[in-house]
Amino acid sequence: MSAISVTNLRKSYKKIDAVDDVSFDVERGEVFALLGPNGAGKTTCIEILEGFLRRDSGQVQVLGVDPGLRQQQQWLRARIGVVLQELAVESFFTVRQVLERNAGFYPAPRPIDEVIELVGLREKADAKVKKLSGGQQRRLDIGLGIIGRPELLFLDEPTTGLDPGARRTTWELIRTLSAEGTTVLLSSHYMDEVEALAKRVAVLRRGRVVAAGPPASLGGRDRGQVTIRFTLPAGGPSSDLPVAPTRREGTSVEIDTNDEVVVLNEITGWALEHKVIVTGLDVTRKTLEDVYLALTHEEIDEPTRANA
Amino acid sequence: MSASTTTSRRSLVPHDVRLIAHQVRYEQLAFWLNRVGAIFTVVFSVLFLVMLGASAGQAHISFLHHLKLIKYYVPGFVAYGIMSACFTTLAINLVVRRETGQLKRLRLSPLPSRVLVVAIFVSTTIVSLVQVALLLLIGRFGYAVNFPVSWLAFALVLLVGIVSFSAMGVAISTVIPNQETAGPVTSIVFFVLLFLAGLWFPLSPHSGLEKFSNYFPVLHFIKAVNAPFEFQPGVSPWAWHDLLIIALWGVVAVIVAVRKFKWAPRRS
Repeated sequence: MSAISVTNLRKSYKKIDAVDDVSFDVERGEVFALLGPNGAGKTTCIEILEGFLRRDSGQVQVLGVDPGLRQQQQWLRARIGVVLQELAVESFFTVRQVLERNAGFYPAPRPIDEVIELVGLREKADAKVKKLSGGQQRRLDIGLGIIGRPELLFLDEPTTGLDPGARRTTWELIRTLSAEGTTVLLSSHYMDEVEALAKRVAVLRRGRVVAAGPPASLGGRDRGQVTIRFTLPAGGPSSDLPVAPTRREGTSVEIDTNDEVVVLNEITGWALEHKVIVTGLDVTRKTLEDVYLALTHEEIDEPTRANA
Repeated sequence: MSASTTTSRRSLVPHDVRLIAHQVRYEQLAFWLNRVGAIFTVVFSVLFLVMLGASAGQAHISFLHHLKLIKYYVPGFVAYGIMSACFTTLAINLVVRRETGQLKRLRLSPLPSRVLVVAIFVSTTIVSLVQVALLLLIGRFGYAVNFPVSWLAFALVLLVGIVSFSAMGVAISTVIPNQETAGPVTSIVFFVLLFLAGLWFPLSPHSGLEKFSNYFPVLHFIKAVNAPFEFQPGVSPWAWHDLLIIALWGVVAVIVAVRKFKWAPRRS
């Protein structure tokens, strides 16, 4: 049985379709990501699944029950964990006090010390929440999300606003939880985050799913066009290249192709034959970001190649 | 699942009571650990009474049977303390918790909403009663102001006041858009009404200001808290008329609160 099953989900606010005919399934134990720009409908989807918002139509099952039914909500809330976009932690308590308070809500909570250990706040256990850094507060926030031993954890943009180091430690934490068997539904607008964590992803744009699948093959990026780059020796080669370059700037050459094996063979064969020293040879597939930007139609001046 | 539902229903009451006690403990902790909030509420009411008692307290109010002013201030600041805890502090607290996402997170935890509501109310009552006790003791031993004659009438006034002003605190929190404005908005509303109701300078009967203030609950609450002390001859300890008006405001506030209450931050 799936942890989450969504079919033809719709929700509109004031005649604007926030979620417009969305369907997806999340397997138990999987890390599944909803990716999309702000306002694409990620948070609305998550809030409907949490039972916080009512849907207009469509079928939704979370851990086998309908989160829209009042009589199921208590049962469901004991089995899910929630981490909101906001750092919703009381600033006057110590880390331990906040965790103890929330532990009291659940039938069989995780031991406090185990949670503190898991989120890496052992040195800060008795520090006031307001004295913690943003990354530490976020980890406490995730600690509150997992204190009830949730079968399913909702993470709504968990690393937005964190510095790179804090993002990495948050990723490690999510991987640990996933390895323990917790199902994770993640929303994000960071490509590298989704690539690092999610087994599958659905890309949302204006309330619709525009692509879905494993990050590695999203939008057919495992197939299709690649870019081959290399640098020729200064002064120029003794003979012409066997393949016409797509772009050439001084000694650096770029060739776009759908047939990288053949092109590489020709280039390397030519280089050996004419004793041309080719440096910096590199084959780049479209990044997830390229695919994502194409799917969500966002304008961008300089393509940044994250994680290339 | 029907079997588990029946079991949980059978043990519902003790489970709820345990949860309420648990939550009240942390509501109290949060209140007292937030020094600024605790000072604004408890220390202010005590300090006002001590300072006014030391300065103007020995004057007499000509139009109130030459009542010593301090005998007007003790009940007055009991009223102030309760309104400050239930109206101002509760409203600010709810806006801050809503806008930082704390209420939403509580809503998505298995803590039942009814438990949270009861726990917040119990906690607000505790803060109110701590102030009442401090003010009565300072009045009695600092300024020789007797305790209420009718404790039963006094308890009823406290009950009606705490419930009604808490409801008003929740109601006003629903119209405050963000945490930055929560303090200024509630404080301005509160202090203007207090001033118009004659907390510092008693209103002479049938004055224009009194007629105006009669439409609002603050003046009625100050009068209702005064009554059980029986300082003014011929005034009943049971201020039914004043209590009714406070309760009416309370009922309207409950209706607004139930209809307008939001768990999620405004901006989302």
